[in-house]
Amino acid sequence: MTTGAQPAPPRGLYLHVPFCRSLCPYCDFVVVAGAAAFGPRSRMGGYLTAIEREIDLRAKLMDAQFGSLGSANRMPLETLYLGGGTPSLLPTDRLASLIERIRDRFGLTPDAEVTLEANPGVDERGDLAGVAQAGVTRLSVGVQVMDTTALRALGRRHTPDDVVATIAAARAAGFASLSMDLLADLPDLPFDAWAASLDAAIALAPDHLSVYALTLSLGPDEAGDDRLATPAGAVAWRERAAAAQDEERGALELEHLNSRLPAAGYNWYEISNWATAGHESRHNTLYWERASVAAVGPGAHAFDGVTRRWNSANLDAWEGALQQGELPPGGESQIESDAARAAEGLVLALRMSRGVERDAAVREGFSEVLAWGEANGLLAPHPSDASRIQLTLRGRLLSNELFSRIV
Amino acid sequence: MSTIPQSRLRNFSIIAHIDHGKSTLADRLLEATHTVEARLMTSQMLDSMDLEREKGITIKARAVRLDYVAKDGLTYGLNLIDTPGHVDFAYEVSRSLQACDGAILVVDASQGIEAQTLANVHLAMKLGLVIIPVLNKIDLPAADPDAVMSELEDSLAIPREEVILASAKSGIGITEILEALVARIPAPSGPLDAPLRALVFDSHYDTYKGVVNYIRVQEGRLKAGDPILMMGSGVTCVPVELGYFRPQHVPVQELVAGEVGYIATGLKSVRDARVGDTVTSQTSPAAEPLPGYQVALPLVFAGLYPLSGEDYPALREALEKLHLNDASFTFEAESSAALGFGFRCGFLGLLHMEIVQERLEREFNLQLIASAPSCKYQVMLSGGKGELLINNPAQLPSPNHIDEIREPWVSASVVTPSTYIGTIMELSTEKRGIFDGMEYLDEKRVVMRFQIPLAELIVDYFDQLKSRTQGYASLDYTESEYRVAPLVKLDILVNGEPVDALSTIIHRDRAQGSGRNLASKLKELIPRQMFEVPIQAAIGGTVIARETVKAVRKNVLAKCYGGDITRKKKLLEKQKEGKERMKRVGSVEIPQEAFLAVLRTDAD
Repeated sequence: MTTGAQPAPPRGLYLHVPFCRSLCPYCDFVVVAGAAAFGPRSRMGGYLTAIEREIDLRAKLMDAQFGSLGSANRMPLETLYLGGGTPSLLPTDRLASLIERIRDRFGLTPDAEVTLEANPGVDERGDLAGVAQAGVTRLSVGVQVMDTTALRALGRRHTPDDVVATIAAARAAGFASLSMDLLADLPDLPFDAWAASLDAAIALAPDHLSVYALTLSLGPDEAGDDRLATPAGAVAWRERAAAAQDEERGALELEHLNSRLPAAGYNWYEISNWATAGHESRHNTLYWERASVAAVGPGAHAFDGVTRRWNSANLDAWEGALQQGELPPGGESQIESDAARAAEGLVLALRMSRGVERDAAVREGFSEVLAWGEANGLLAPHPSDASRIQLTLRGRLLSNELFSRIV
Repeated sequence: MSTIPQSRLRNFSIIAHIDHGKSTLADRLLEATHTVEARLMTSQMLDSMDLEREKGITIKARAVRLDYVAKDGLTYGLNLIDTPGHVDFAYEVSRSLQACDGAILVVDASQGIEAQTLANVHLAMKLGLVIIPVLNKIDLPAADPDAVMSELEDSLAIPREEVILASAKSGIGITEILEALVARIPAPSGPLDAPLRALVFDSHYDTYKGVVNYIRVQEGRLKAGDPILMMGSGVTCVPVELGYFRPQHVPVQELVAGEVGYIATGLKSVRDARVGDTVTSQTSPAAEPLPGYQVALPLVFAGLYPLSGEDYPALREALEKLHLNDASFTFEAESSAALGFGFRCGFLGLLHMEIVQERLEREFNLQLIASAPSCKYQVMLSGGKGELLINNPAQLPSPNHIDEIREPWVSASVVTPSTYIGTIMELSTEKRGIFDGMEYLDEKRVVMRFQIPLAELIVDYFDQLKSRTQGYASLDYTESEYRVAPLVKLDILVNGEPVDALSTIIHRDRAQGSGRNLASKLKELIPRQMFEVPIQAAIGGTVIARETVKAVRKNVLAKCYGGDITRKKKLLEKQKEGKERMKRVGSVEIPQEAFLAVLRTDAD
């Protein structure tokens, strides 16, 4: 890497919807819940006005920086991701007009992947037929676990039956791709119960599965990107839950995924992600490829190839600025050196099963750490392309051991 | 300035146990003789080091001249030579006492006489010094002057009629003490017309004046500008300045027999003007030097390492500078696989070690880690290959090359209330001590004598003694002899690799317990690695204790999308910084804190 990076026009857009019916104690996302999310004192209306303004303002900036939509430098978006929060709480008509607005200001390719995160609860999943009608092509369902007791322990509002109903409704609505989010290393959930929950999820035949080892952040957030403070009750919950997690059991679960999911037709393509052929998340792949992704909504993070920028996570601050017709407050950070950029690129690329081309990584100065990773069984040649190198199963479980030697 | 004739000079010292009020008494004497203006007076005037004031001890000898107008109307020059009170600095005491003709013995009227005081008074008596006994703190409710006077009578044959009752804090008895100094201590007697002979009893280094020697002129005269010869080193120089202490330097034109003062030599190395050397005139030198001192040899050895490897040159410089003021510790470069580059240092005792370490940290802004203290062993090599002296477990040859190992023993005396006799007997026996006898100081207090291996003493004997007797027992010791002992080297192996900084030379019977203790402690302190890490305690090839640090199974950031990338990087960078601070033993990464924790608590 000898040439400095240049900002690039966005290939994807992330839109953050901060509303949830209730807060989950383990969640670190930017969320407001309860009366602010639902009912007469809901802030949904103000939010929608503001997010429309932000879409307009960000698009205008893109026009100024890269030329207007349709010019050679300014290709339409390949992906749109509505994350949260619980984006399925958006009124269907407003969702449709939001997608239209984005198509108008940023463009959307004809085959664009448009993902919406949905919760399976009866009062959370929304009108899935209407959602599909609005232009959403991919539904990502927050299942977490197919076990009633475990769901209740996590503070979730839904049951396994709600998941079954949601998937059925989604299939009926005709989404091109269905994904489920699952958790591993859950407090107090024995391995066998967890494995049965996995089987129940597989039985619903989603096209894509994300399985995350539950990470409970206990200390204060040090990233400095202005996230919301964790409520005291959630901190206490996390302390109890963390004590009931079991690293050995969690590791066994992740290892179990490696045998169980391929047998069911899912291939791992990223540390926490499995999909049947052609159903890999295109939007998330943009992140791992360090592609340019725009972002709107409180707490949303964008990257233009050079600068990581984020909006304030504070709904009042974010909304207040937009009401004044100004861009919301936030922050940004830049990677100064080519070496640091290469290191970040390597860490992100190694998260994916395709891994990296060994010679290219060696040229960038990583031969020593790659050798260390291979010697310690964290890295191995790609099974179908010997010029590439990828994480082993052990490497996926212990990836931070490798990555902390790269950054 | 030195208009006071020899007949009106008095050179004296104060002998006291820690906390018995020596520094307060010195303050009162300074005030009563108007040596220091009241507005400049700070508490514990002579203890100028922060450390001395904090710890309530005197580390360096110091001197001050008091001009006292006595009841006979004449002005006397009283030279107070302050002495350290701790057993580690016994050699400094003996040097200071040799410059004196008398000593005030300060004893706390509620506590009675303590072990080190006893030892120092014996030393003063042996040197022929006049003792002026003072019972201090007599105004305290717990004071029992009668009992303490009996104790002095019984243990030191000091007649109770000679005892002065005082309270340095409230100023009681100060005039009596000053009058006793004049009346009881003889004037120095050295001839003024003989060739110059002056004894160097201490020194310090001054950036501008070079090595400053503290001297007692025994015979003859020393004039400003006269070239001098250090009889021991053979070095000559023309002093930059001479004078006496107030306690700051007061330059004079001449110092004569009987006087105590300083010479700023301008020399750059303390080696050229050592403590114990004799100063004479270069032009008309004396025939013989004065009897000097036995050089104090370090008893306790430990490695000092900078916490951060880049501070190594700074540590070297700091040691060199500190050594200019305290030549009693030794240092030589060594390196440890676990701790990096550092220095093997020799100290007079554990307190001395602690003080040197603290001064290096405070005065030179260093962060240090010390390896476990050790003493000097004699190793008789097999096959008549001779004797090896080692002060570092790493230097111990393998057992098949050793005929026998000898360790240093000390004669220890413990002064204690008689209620603790059983406790102390038990503690000393646990520490392989051999009971030598016991004498009653009075009906409540005794002196117990033991022979005990120095190695046991430096581990935690003193701390244990203090805690098991609620602080009432005091300890003094002198080196005695080397004795053969079944000593072994206990190695700690992490993943099969010995950790040099944790090796110890230890009695065979102790090895098992100590090995188990160290291994289980390390198990808690070593972070889990990507593989299982065995921790073993071994003697030679024999493993005597084993623990296992389980392998880390899962260290992964599950989610890594838009906002997570920034956060993830912070986390990875933190993990990386943690790794960079770690020391490597083979392929195992161990945080420095783990060594610190083990080394700090290995006495548990």
